[in-house]
Amino acid sequence: MTAMPQGMLWPRTVQEATAMLADDPDAKALAGGATLVAMMNARVVEPHALVNLALIDELRGIRSEADGTIRIGAFTRHVETAGCALLRGTAEVVWQAAGKIANATVRNMGTIGGSISFADPGLDYPPAIVAADASIEIASVAQRRRVAAADFFVDWYTTALEPGEIVTAVILAPKAGGASYVKHARVASDYATASAAVCIEGRGTVRAVIGSCGPTPIRDDAADALLSGDRSDAAIASAGALLEARADPLDDVRGSAEYRRLLIPRLLLRAIRQAETSIAA
Amino acid sequence: MSALAGTAVGLSVPQLEGDDKLCGSAQYIADLHRPGMLHGAILQSPHAHARIRGYDLSAARALPGVRAIITGDDLDEQHRMGAFIKDEPAFAKGKVRYVGEIVAAVAAESEAIARAATQLIRVDYEELPAVVDPAAALAPDAPLVHEGSAQYIKVFDAGTDGNLCSRTEFTSGDVDAAWAGCDTVVEATYTTQAQAHVSLEPVGALAEIDAGGRITLWSANQSVFRVQASVCESLGLPMTKLRCLTPRVGAGFGNKMEAHVQPAVVLLAMKARRTVRMILSREEDFETVRARHPFSIRIKTGARRDGTLVAREIEVLLDGGAYGDDSPGVLGYALLMQCGPYRIPHVRARGRVAYTNKLRFGAFRGFGVPQVTFAAESQLDELAEQIGIDRIALRRRNMLVPGDPWFGGQAIRSNGLAECLDIVERESRWREPVAAPTPDAPSGQRLRRGRGIALSAHISGLLASGAIVRLLEDGSVLLNTGAVDIGQGSNTVLTQICAEALQLPVDRVAIASPDTDGSPYNWGTTASRVTYVTGRSVVGAAAEIEKKLKAHAGEMLECGVDDLELLPGGKVAVKGVAQKSVSFADISGRAHWAAGGPLIGTHSWVFDQKTFDPKRAVALGLPFAQIGIFSFNALVVEVELDEATGQVRVVGAWSACDIGRAINPMLASGQIEGAFVQGMGYALVEEMVWDGARLANPSLMDYKIPTMGELPETLRAYLIESDEPSGPFGAKSVGELGINGVAAAIANAIADAAGVRLRQLPMTGERVLRGLLESAAAS
Amino acid sequence: MSPASAATTGAARVELDVNGSVADVRAGLSTTLLTVLRDDLHLTAAKRGCNQGVCGACTVEIDGVPMRACLSLAHGCVDRPVRTLEGMLETPRMQALQRAFAVSGAFQCGFCTPGVLVAAHALLASDPDPDEAAIRRALSGNLCRCTGYARIVAAVRSAASSLAAPANQASA
Repeated sequence: MTAMPQGMLWPRTVQEATAMLADDPDAKALAGGATLVAMMNARVVEPHALVNLALIDELRGIRSEADGTIRIGAFTRHVETAGCALLRGTAEVVWQAAGKIANATVRNMGTIGGSISFADPGLDYPPAIVAADASIEIASVAQRRRVAAADFFVDWYTTALEPGEIVTAVILAPKAGGASYVKHARVASDYATASAAVCIEGRGTVRAVIGSCGPTPIRDDAADALLSGDRSDAAIASAGALLEARADPLDDVRGSAEYRRLLIPRLLLRAIRQAETSIAA
Repeated sequence: MSALAGTAVGLSVPQLEGDDKLCGSAQYIADLHRPGMLHGAILQSPHAHARIRGYDLSAARALPGVRAIITGDDLDEQHRMGAFIKDEPAFAKGKVRYVGEIVAAVAAESEAIARAATQLIRVDYEELPAVVDPAAALAPDAPLVHEGSAQYIKVFDAGTDGNLCSRTEFTSGDVDAAWAGCDTVVEATYTTQAQAHVSLEPVGALAEIDAGGRITLWSANQSVFRVQASVCESLGLPMTKLRCLTPRVGAGFGNKMEAHVQPAVVLLAMKARRTVRMILSREEDFETVRARHPFSIRIKTGARRDGTLVAREIEVLLDGGAYGDDSPGVLGYALLMQCGPYRIPHVRARGRVAYTNKLRFGAFRGFGVPQVTFAAESQLDELAEQIGIDRIALRRRNMLVPGDPWFGGQAIRSNGLAECLDIVERESRWREPVAAPTPDAPSGQRLRRGRGIALSAHISGLLASGAIVRLLEDGSVLLNTGAVDIGQGSNTVLTQICAEALQLPVDRVAIASPDTDGSPYNWGTTASRVTYVTGRSVVGAAAEIEKKLKAHAGEMLECGVDDLELLPGGKVAVKGVAQKSVSFADISGRAHWAAGGPLIGTHSWVFDQKTFDPKRAVALGLPFAQIGIFSFNALVVEVELDEATGQVRVVGAWSACDIGRAINPMLASGQIEGAFVQGMGYALVEEMVWDGARLANPSLMDYKIPTMGELPETLRAYLIESDEPSGPFGAKSVGELGINGVAAAIANAIADAAGVRLRQLPMTGERVLRGLLESAAAS
Repeated sequence: MSPASAATTGAARVELDVNGSVADVRAGLSTTLLTVLRDDLHLTAAKRGCNQGVCGACTVEIDGVPMRACLSLAHGCVDRPVRTLEGMLETPRMQALQRAFAVSGAFQCGFCTPGVLVAAHALLASDPDPDEAAIRRALSGNLCRCTGYARIVAAVRSAASSLAAPANQASA
């Protein structure tokens, strides 16, 4: 048996990267490092090999595809996503979320692929990309596949990624309309205590998602159906109650479960009204 | 105000260490490096309370690169340290008393090896029941944190008994009879949380040992003398064997005033017979060192219908944590200061500190006053509301005026509180209405505004200080005080004082770095004492040098010393005859080579004004008989409260401090601004949270301090100069004053904005929202 | 070879570009750039305040952009130019910032200062006339416990002004 490669590995293509991960189940994929290196510093993980994705051109950059979708490469740093003019209409929710992640210096480092692969429910991208109805492109040695964002986040720190798979892109199909990502946190740069991501299409269809209130982003079909027909304060309150019923928030230092439940309808109202102004704008 | 030569005092001289700090070349403890030095790491206790039955070091010793391991077996039972009660060993011996306590330490060729080795140490614990609540700790059947607490040496009448660490009571007048004479009485309970210092620099130390066994110890500290005393007491070393020095220090706020890892690092160096450096991680710093005392406060105030304050009763219970540390001082000081800067004739103030199985609580900027001010200034607003009198009018009616003494009878010789209040009332536009609630357009969720005020005070004190001023051969001057500059700028301020006293430009005075070998004793950088207490020493030492300069000059110029004066720039001249002069350099040459010997001026003193006048007040368990002189603060805060989330942000803060005289206005203002923002964190966000006995948020990810995003739009510091007669050039100190009133002013502003009265800190969005919902339900 | 970094399992040679010079060091896979800078290269301006990327005291430039040295692996910095405060001291922009910080009292203990200066330097490079909101946004990731931040904001504004009008600038 040949010895496993140690240290930092530098694949040049997605195929090489997934092959390395398939060969060595203990190796970890490294993107921006914002999450993984913090865990290594704390000795939570101690990998003997890292598959560094930085040299894979295919993973970089945000581009408009021929079919009108926007492809955000997995190795796109938050600062780039936050400044990207292509993310218009309902896709705006993603750039708003990107701009609220941590702080400016960390946004220079972290990537969308790395962030969502970690699936910390307190993160900003998960509710935003679910609200935007994004799909996640995933690669393994054998194939590429796509998963709807809502199906990508499975549980606390658990995604639909199988061993050896990496996220290669987040794909958005922006619609004309407006969007808003509202983040409530103790101080600037903190994780969200609770968040609300809302997309409103020009013809009135609403997708409303709550973040940091359970193991995965929270959506409710009935709530969306209600809001798609009626965005009065009363309708929003009812939709808020439906979302709150699906929530499973934690008690932690950022807030109690009860506080998070109280916040859900309030942040939802704020996000919807702000999204409406961005339609007009 | 006394006239100045104008060479230094009153000038906003940039910090003397600025170049190093701005170029990144300042050397903090973690930047110090010695060839071949070993690296230290600690093993922390996983238990809140347990007997240590034994250690198995065999696996740790066997790890290549390990050079020394220390445990409680290396300590002598007799050797304990403690500022007021000698209850604390160098690190855990016989027992562990809190989760995170240092149980053992390793010195090895690299930090990685040292840390790996600590994980190989096996400790045989016998777990004991733990007590984490101070009230539960004082119950008769509570597990004892210190079985032998009654036997410990105490420096005052502490009343220590079981888990009662200390108790204190101050009374004046006849409180029980006085309630009858009150038209309005308000009573409430307030609770405050543990706050972590979060100096950006974690603690650390580096110990070198020579062949004779003498140790040179560098550490992040606020007092080289307290380090020396603590290490020597806890290790049983004669003080001649230990020299303590200070590198550049990355702030302290009280965390670095008493010992942290220094005793362990010195012992490692002694055992390894090699230099050892140990720097704690941020998490270890959170878990092992110290934090601000949680207080529970029951407070009752009575007044006449015209708003005159008549009676105050206050009872406090402090969580002291596992060791006494500065707890008795914090208790006593808080009780002394809880009256605030007001006349209240009938007072009973009492309190207790309980030992619990948590990390020690100790000195933190404000030293108990932020806690009691939160309660007392909140209560004054409630009183004003009940009586139907304006909040500022109530304060003006009762506030101390020049001539009034402090509670307990100590005379106050400078009092600029009225000017402080006038300026913040005006600058904050207090009399104008706040902005109307703005709808968070377009959701309709409102942002409400409100204003609050708090008046408070702090001492500039205490204990001992010395200064040595030497004339160098070229006529320039070297100042040595032993006071540690932790970033607040004391080196610069003391240099300015010395320069002004001798009418020299600042760049003709150098200041020595604190060194227990060479510096005169200085109790430490704490208690807002350096400008006032050490500043007075500097003035005294400079005066002595001036006498000696004039004695020489008189002989050189053939005239009487009374006919001589100093001129700016380092000259002694015949009064009115500037041409007849000699330079300091001339005098120095004469002294060094011909007559008299090197010119050395010294001054040494202990603060000696008595805190309590026994004719005015009775004190039981007074930890300090002589504490300090008083500075005053008036603070107005304007907040914006988000009805949707309960989140409060400060939009404006106007803080006026009577500091006697501003030696360096820029540095003084910096203290006020920094103290405000730290107080804002205390008021709104910061809280150490325990999950049972384990600290749940010992990291900057989970424990949040204000960021630049929380800076209020308007943050203004005002310096009021009341000219303290006993102060150096009239100055009083300012390091802590600015934090005391912040939580109260914000609480009062929240009540003004939304009618919600919060009595627990921090006033998080969650607590405010609950308050809003409760008051909506009640109405 | 630094004992601190090489003692980690699997230390290997890595060549880094630091402040324009080649730095040849040995580092384990988990060794961060911060450790290499401080312990191997004795560039101690970047500080370790938390080792989690929160406090900002370790901020340096990588690929011309401010990043956390404590969250950057040494081996991951190959072919990516690193610049620390020590490597920026000669730039007019840094000198303007230092002057402004000194006269504004924008530092006290100085521990956060190198990280703040690196972040401010990068801000002024990309936005020579930042307003207060832009300054707060760029520097929100730099914690300061001493100053209360107001003077830092004022100093960055003042440095920006002095760089914009060099003819009016008083000599240093």
